[in-house]
Amino acid sequence: MGTAIKLLIIDDNEEILTSLNRFLSRKGYDVELAANGLVALKKLEAVNYNFDLVITDLVMPNISGVAITTIIKKHNSQMPIIAITGYGEQPGSLAKEAHADFVMNKPFKLDEIEATIQRLLK
Amino acid sequence: MYRPIIGVSENVVKIREVIDHIADTGLNTVICGESGVGKEVIAQNLYQNSSRSGKPFIRVNCAALPDGLLESELFGYEKGAFTGADRKTRGKFELANQGVLMLDEIGDMSLPLQAKLLHVLQSGEFAPLGSEKEVKTDTWVIAATNHELEKDIKAGKFREDLYYRLNIIRIYIQPLRERPEDIAPLIEYYLEEYTRQFNTAKIIRPSQSVIDQLIRYHWPGNVRELQNILKRMLVLGDAEKILNELHARSGEINGNPTTVTDDRTPANPMNIIDLYGKDSPNESSFSLKKIRKTALDHIEKEVISHVLEKTGWNRSKATKILKISYKTLLYKISDLGITPPSKN
Repeated sequence: MGTAIKLLIIDDNEEILTSLNRFLSRKGYDVELAANGLVALKKLEAVNYNFDLVITDLVMPNISGVAITTIIKKHNSQMPIIAITGYGEQPGSLAKEAHADFVMNKPFKLDEIEATIQRLLK
Repeated sequence: MYRPIIGVSENVVKIREVIDHIADTGLNTVICGESGVGKEVIAQNLYQNSSRSGKPFIRVNCAALPDGLLESELFGYEKGAFTGADRKTRGKFELANQGVLMLDEIGDMSLPLQAKLLHVLQSGEFAPLGSEKEVKTDTWVIAATNHELEKDIKAGKFREDLYYRLNIIRIYIQPLRERPEDIAPLIEYYLEEYTRQFNTAKIIRPSQSVIDQLIRYHWPGNVRELQNILKRMLVLGDAEKILNELHARSGEINGNPTTVTDDRTPANPMNIIDLYGKDSPNESSFSLKKIRKTALDHIEKEVISHVLEKTGWNRSKATKILKISYKTLLYKISDLGITPPSKN
């Protein structure tokens, strides 16, 4: 078996973070978690923006998911990003403008997110 | 003038960290917080830590100008665009090109102007008044507000699309009363700065007891109020008088801002009873008996609190001094809502 796929998941909602972590770890992914944008940026900087894929919430205090998406794409335009949001269309369209690869609305099915990860990593 | 963000509170430490990580991104930013809290200092720090440092930093107060004037200030105008436009004038968006445009009090901007601002943020272009040609701009917009923009959106006063476009980075700075640990370092910093500034005048540094009282004050005007008070103390040297003024303004300088029991000046009975409000003789509940009870409760609370404080909340000692039973004291403490001082 090859090395596990490295994911970074960013969300200020602990429940979502926990459930995504449990689900994706069980599926064999190597999951890193960040409960806010600042922690996420530190983790990204530490590995020189090298995760296989990032899943980020969009509306968060301080550093939004749109900011995270813009910063990641500036450093590593190849890294796929899934943006998730529960705040209607506005944040989603800003994320697309910032070149997020896929935008998902909350609530979503866990299988759906895994299928998207697989599709983006093909 | 560039100033560091002073403080040791979690809020301030986090703000400094956010600035370190995002200053170079030039992403739209909103700084929120009460008046006088230091939003411009944060904007200046963002600018100084970015690669735009050295380029223009222009601040526009959106609340200070009427709508039409603000529009021409921001976007500029062509000669003849309106009566009195006798020459072409560049707007702040053009002047701040490659630098920072700080839009202070953004919550006070009118809806039509918000639409124009949204257009610039979306396209990076704008048309000066009276011109059909769009001008390109590379300006980092940092907005600031003391409004809760989310409430303004609900009230139809602020555009939701503009809100999300500005809120890519959001920095919230708490009022000073919610981060009292920052007051002492702020006092230290500004005493030093003003001492340097006024070096020709005779400086009288406030005593430690004055500084301690300043630390206990709740600063409704935030850092700006603190700066003004320190300047006055240094220049006038009359710290006690200034403290008394603060005291009179709020009745809150000697401790807990919400309880009357901490006020050491003798209470005027007419301040206890609100004859023109809830205790007005026009109220159906008015009676001399009720007034007597209100006044008596207040005085009892004052006296019992004082004795408890003197005895270090030793209730047995307090009962002997007050000449009441232990049971009565416990009842009074509970009935009058007397609380021990907090431990910190």
